Formats: sequence, structure tokens, C-alpha cells
Amino acid sequence: MRWVDFKDSVRRFWEDYKHQKSGMFGLFFLIVLIVLAIAAPYITSPDVPKEWQTGTAWVTNPKNAPPSWENYFVSETRAPQVEYTIDDLHLTKAQNGSYTVYTMTFTYDMRYDIPPKDIVITGLNSTAERPQDNPLVTMYVERPKENGLKYNSLMLLYNVQLPSSGVVQLAYTQEVKSLIFYWLYENGIFTLPMQIPEDLPMDMKMMYLTQQVQMNSTLYGYYQSMDPMKVIFGKMTDNGKLRTLDQIVNSPEALQGTYKFTIVVTVPSDVQVDFSNFKVALVGRTYGLLGTDQYGRPIALGLLWGIRVALAIGIAVSVSTVLIGVLIGVTSAYLGGWADEAIQRFTEFMMTLPVLPMLILLSLYFGGKINLKQLVFILVLFGWMGTTKVARSMALQIKEQTYVEAARALGASTGRIVFKHIVPQLLPYAFASIALSVPGAILSEAGLSFLGLTSNNMITWGQMLNAANANGATLNGYWWQVIPPGLAIAFVGLIFVLIGVSLDTVLNPKLKRA
Amino acid sequence: MGMSFGKYVAYRLINAVIILFLAVLLMSALFTKLATIQLTAQVNEEVQMWVRSYTQTHHTQPSQELIEQYKQTRIKYYHLDQPYWKRTWEYAINTFFFKWGQSFQKVFGTTVITDQIKTALARTVLLFTTAEILVIIIGLALGIKSARSPGSLLDRTISILAMVTTSLPMWWLGMLMILVFVVYLGWLPITLYSQVQVSGWANILKKMSLPVVTIVINLFGGWAWTTRNIMIGTMQEDFIMVARAKGVPERKIIYGHALKAAAPPIITMVIFGLIGSLGGAMITEIVFNWPGMGRLYYEALQLNAVKTMMALNYMFAILTVLSMVLADILYAYLDPRIRIGAAARS
Repeated sequence: MRWVDFKDSVRRFWEDYKHQKSGMFGLFFLIVLIVLAIAAPYITSPDVPKEWQTGTAWVTNPKNAPPSWENYFVSETRAPQVEYTIDDLHLTKAQNGSYTVYTMTFTYDMRYDIPPKDIVITGLNSTAERPQDNPLVTMYVERPKENGLKYNSLMLLYNVQLPSSGVVQLAYTQEVKSLIFYWLYENGIFTLPMQIPEDLPMDMKMMYLTQQVQMNSTLYGYYQSMDPMKVIFGKMTDNGKLRTLDQIVNSPEALQGTYKFTIVVTVPSDVQVDFSNFKVALVGRTYGLLGTDQYGRPIALGLLWGIRVALAIGIAVSVSTVLIGVLIGVTSAYLGGWADEAIQRFTEFMMTLPVLPMLILLSLYFGGKINLKQLVFILVLFGWMGTTKVARSMALQIKEQTYVEAARALGASTGRIVFKHIVPQLLPYAFASIALSVPGAILSEAGLSFLGLTSNNMITWGQMLNAANANGATLNGYWWQVIPPGLAIAFVGLIFVLIGVSLDTVLNPKLKRA
Repeated sequence: MGMSFGKYVAYRLINAVIILFLAVLLMSALFTKLATIQLTAQVNEEVQMWVRSYTQTHHTQPSQELIEQYKQTRIKYYHLDQPYWKRTWEYAINTFFFKWGQSFQKVFGTTVITDQIKTALARTVLLFTTAEILVIIIGLALGIKSARSPGSLLDRTISILAMVTTSLPMWWLGMLMILVFVVYLGWLPITLYSQVQVSGWANILKKMSLPVVTIVINLFGGWAWTTRNIMIGTMQEDFIMVARAKGVPERKIIYGHALKAAAPPIITMVIFGLIGSLGGAMITEIVFNWPGMGRLYYEALQLNAVKTMMALNYMFAILTVLSMVLADILYAYLDPRIRIGAAARS
């Protein structure tokens, strides 16, 4: 075929294809998907695949949190995830004797009915070598003013050691509860049999307090069952009158308004502190666009990265199966005789093997956690037969055409006849069936991943559904873990079906009238 | 000419048995490797246990020689001393004749593999047959209806539905059904799907309802579309034109003439579709905790019960091969030209 002819036939094909509405729809979204797949590392972070399994990157995320936009449809709004990095924090540095004191402040606008789940501080790296040189973190919050409440400033952390790569989760730290209790006590919400002397150092006051709380079973009960976040962000008064401890702990009400947080980091002057990874997260009850899974991984992130594997598997498997299938079919038809018979019997044999059980068996044979290449290999191994059957019967018809006979009479070699005369005739069929066999490949991948047979090193929609199933997402009603990955699979499948059907209509004129 | 229908059936059956045996041989070759890994671990474990009990009764460690001797008896016991191909062959023969033996782990409450599969097979057949019958009825009815008026709203809806559902994972649809009907609407109790076994026929039927609906929704569109395409093709044939010209009523043309002629390809498509949906149905059982073959496979996979998996693979191969033979035989029965073709070939 000459270049001009080729250009011409491509142009004619495009003229026809342009009028296929569903085909253009499919093509448009295919391009969108390819762009997203390529852009994934730039939109997010190139480290995502590495971090996906380790889980340390998701420590500041809530687990099983629904999407934030659910707030528009529910009566009680829940705080979404908010994160502060060093750029959002107002940092000042001061010298206090042989210590350097860093002070950071930020404000948080709490306008939800259910406050954040937790406050997490992480990513403070220092050059401290001995434990006693580790940075000490103190944190307090200035709450919105309440009439009838003496102190609206509340200490949350007092000189807590934070080693490099350490994490402080306020909701799960005992000291936070003690400090909150001390503040409640100071505000006169409850009384203690023995007054705590004002002039004691903070840690002694804490000891005084915890000892007395532990002796009193009622107080200790409140201490244990308290959700610190609901008290930090909770109302202490009703119409200017103090609420009781029972009301504050057992029926907390959110206090909406602006909270001003201050974090003080104290380190010996010879220790360097690196704030570049420093992060304070107000862990949401809801998270981002599509929520999180049981490890705190954002579903939206998995969905975006899953495009890569889906397209890679879909295209690699469909192109290979169709090319191999066409080649085997054409060869079988051309050779004829016993070779044809043998190839046909073998094809039929492969067709009678139950696909999914065989795929499971081969995955186990490869060690139970197969990687992308092995996956493509086994999907191709069980995918070429259908194309072979069709290609063979089409090639048998073409073989009897007079121009093929003429070519043979002119002494054309087998290879020339097959590649020059038979295969080009089959190309339209091949293109259409490549597109049409993509969904099957993606579905098979999803099935195997759902059964836990694929390697954890890739992010796939099937694995997300596997995680959702392991998490009991359906019975717990975590719809955001179930619906998006399945819709993504169906959507990619549909795109290729639309493209395939349109290609079929354009390239196989016989179908045009139907 | 010359091959009678009985002969054709016999020919197809013998062919099927040969293919089945070859399939078992192939699977056995793969499974023997897996079994070898597992049995070697089993032997090592047993030797360790034996050393421990020996030390307890004799108050002294057994000599290296004794340990080696015991190990050899265990290796012999599990036939690990025999060459790979011999074990593959024996394993294939045993599997082929349903001598499945016992699994190391309890699956479905028993180690006897035949019992495990009997329970599971009955449940799978119950679920799948019910669903397939519904799919066939709905699919055929809608397919014929839309073939009568191509381009109508119904016709276009079916085309779109078929495209969408072929790219939907059946088991994901199942998860969605649970989410909607159990969790949000609360029409069925959660315990029905959170546990595998339920007691009483009423509960089993209730439990069956959602997976049946799932399978029907997933498959009926594709079948209606296939039926429609084949019917439209048939309706353009000359003999339909002749019947129309003769004044045969339209109803009779469709159900009498066209459907009869379209039946063989429809049946083939139906049966191939059935085989194709087997994998999805297996995972659907897992999603619904339905104690069938798919769920059994999943449990065997979790417990690494290799022998149970081999027996299951064999059963799935039997189901696949039998369905294909059934398709062939039905086709031949409905379309005698096929028999002649087969006779001419052989």
C-alpha cells in the first residue's frame, strides 16, 4: 500500500467514524482517560504506588470516612479533613536560655455539627540523637468566647516528646484527657475532694488530678468514656449557665466558631529542626471527593491511579489476543489439511477449559500474587480462541477469491499471500474486536484481584473492591468504597464497547444497514 | 450422509470425554506442583511433631538416622518419592474417576472432598438454574419484541442495556444490590448475607432472591440483544418473505417460522453465554456468601486446600464440556445440516 493510499483511506475512515455519535463519545472519554493516566503522577505525587501498601502516608487520614459532599444531604454536618503544612502555619523563632522555641499558630473555623475525629501532629524531623534532646511539643487552643465560662484557653499538650518520624494523635493520648479534665475542673464544671494548689508545676497538678479522678468511680467513668475531640470542640454552657460533666461528656454539643491553635516546639539550641514535612491534620469525619477506605487511603486517589493498570491490561491483552488469534486463524486456514485440523482441535480444547478456574490455577502456579506481566500472559493464554475461530472462517473465504489464486499462480510465497492479501482483509475485523475485547480483560483482572490473586504493587480497581469486601463495606453501608471502583470498571468497558461497535459499523460495510 | 442422530450423539460424547481427560491431565500437571510444595511442608511438620513426641516419651532426642528414616516413610506415604510425571498421571486418573480423597483442612465442615462438593453443587445448581430460566424467558421475550420493531424505544433501550451490562462485573452489581436492598432499604435482614449458612427453606429462598435478581439484571440485556440480532437476520430471509406474501399472520410468522429457524444459533449463544457467565457467578456467590461452588472455591483458596480446588476445577470443566456438548447436540437436533457436515468430516 502506498503512503498516499494509506493517508486517503485513513481520511475516509475518519469521515465515516466522525458521524458515529457513540463512537465519538467513546473516543473523547478514552482520550480523557489516557490524559488522566499520564498526568496521575503530576496531579498527585509520583510516590503514590509506593505508599499505597505501606500505609504510613495515610496515618493522618480518617478511616472509612464518607465523602465531604455528603454533608449537603444529611441533617448533621460532619467536619471534613483539614491539613496545615508549614506554609499555612505562622512560624516564629525565639531563644530562651539554651533552648530554641518555635511558635506556630493557625486558626480553624469549626462550623459543623460533629467536630473533627482527631488532631494529628507529624513530620517533625530533628537532628536529636539522644531521647532527651527530642523536641518537646506544647499545644493549646483559644476557643470561641462563651458567656459564663472563666477560661476559654485550653491546654492540649504539655511538653510531649516528638521524635523524628513520630506521630501524636490527640484523641488517643491519655495526657490530653487529663489536661481537658484539669481545664474542666478549673472552670468549675466538677469539684475534687482535695483542691489542687495553684502554685504547683503543671506535671504535679496532673498527678494530683489523675490520682483523685481514678479514686472516684463516677469521675473515672466519665474520664474513660470521654471523646476528647467532642469536648475540645464542645459547648460548656447553656444560656450562660455551666453544663454538667454528664452533659458535656455524654451529650456533647458542638461549639461553632473560630478556634485559634498555638503549637510551641522547644528544642536544645544545638539541635536542628526541619519543618518541611511538618503537618497538623484536623482529621475529618468526612474526607475529600470520594472518602477513604479502612486504611485511610483516599478512594479518589486509587480511582485515578487505577486508570493506568486498567488501560495497560485492557490494551495489552486485547491487542495481543487479537493479533495472536488472527495469526493462528489465518495460518490454520492457509495451511489446511492435518495442520488445520490439529490447530482447530487444540483451539476447541482450550475453549472447553473453564476460564476463571484456570486463571486461578495459573495464578497459584505463578506463586499466588501475580504481577502485571504474568497477568497479561495468562489472560492472553485464555483469550485468543474466539478470534482464531472467526479469523479462520473469514480467511477460508478470502483464500478462495480469484485474486489470491492469481497471486499463487504468479508464484507468490505463502508469507506474501498471508501478509499481503489475507491479513489486510481481516484488519477491520481485528480493530473492532480489539476494542470489543478490552472490557473482558478488565473484568477478568478485576475478578482475579477481587480474589486476592494479583500483586499488591499495583493499584487496581479490582483490588479496591477486594479491600472493600474484606472490610465488609457493603454490609456496613460504606457505599463510597463499593460504587466508584465498579463504576470505573463499567465506564472503561463501556467506552471500548462503544468504540468497538462504531468501528464495526464503519469498517464492516455489511453491517451498515442493520 | 449416513450418520444417524444417535451415532452423532455418541461421537460427540466420546469426543467430550477425551477432551475432559486431557483437561484433567493439564490441570493435574499444574496442581501436582502446588501439591508438592504443600506436601513437602506437611512432611516437615509431621517429622517435627514426631521428634517432639519421641522426645517426650523417650526423654531423649531421636538420632539423625531415625529422623531421616521416619521422614522417608512419610515421603513414601505421600508418594513424594515418585517422579513428577507419574504423580501427575495418578492424580489425573484419581480425579477423573472421582476418587478425590480428603483435604487437610476442613472446608464446609468436612474434610471429605466429595461431600464438600455435593453440598456446594446442589446450591449452585439451585441458584444458577433458577436465574438462568428467568433470564432465558425475559431475554427471549424482549429480544423477539424488539426484533419486531427495530429502532423503536424498546429496541434502543435494549441495545444500550446490553452494552452497559456486558461491561459490568456481575459480582459488583451484587455488592450494589446488598447496599441498596439490605443496608439502605432494609427489605432483607443483614444476617442473611453476613453469614454463609442459613436454616430453613424460607430463609434459603429469601437469601436466594438477591443473587437471582443480580444474575438476571446482569445477563438479560445481552441475551435479548443476541436474540434480537439473530431474529432480525432471520426475518430478512426469503422464506419469511414468502410466508408474508402467502398471508400467514404475523404472530405465526414470528413464533412458527422465524423462531424455529433462529432457534439453533440462539441456543448456541445462550449456552456459550451461560459458560461465559460462570466466572462472574462464582464471584457473585462469594459476595452473597452463598454456599455454592464459587464460595467453596474461595474458602479452599483461603485455606490453601489444593485437593478441593482440583476437584472443583474438574467439576467446572465437566460443566463447561457438558454444556458445549449439549449445545452441539441441540444444534444438530434442530438443524440436521450440522450432522451431515460432521459425518462428511469424519
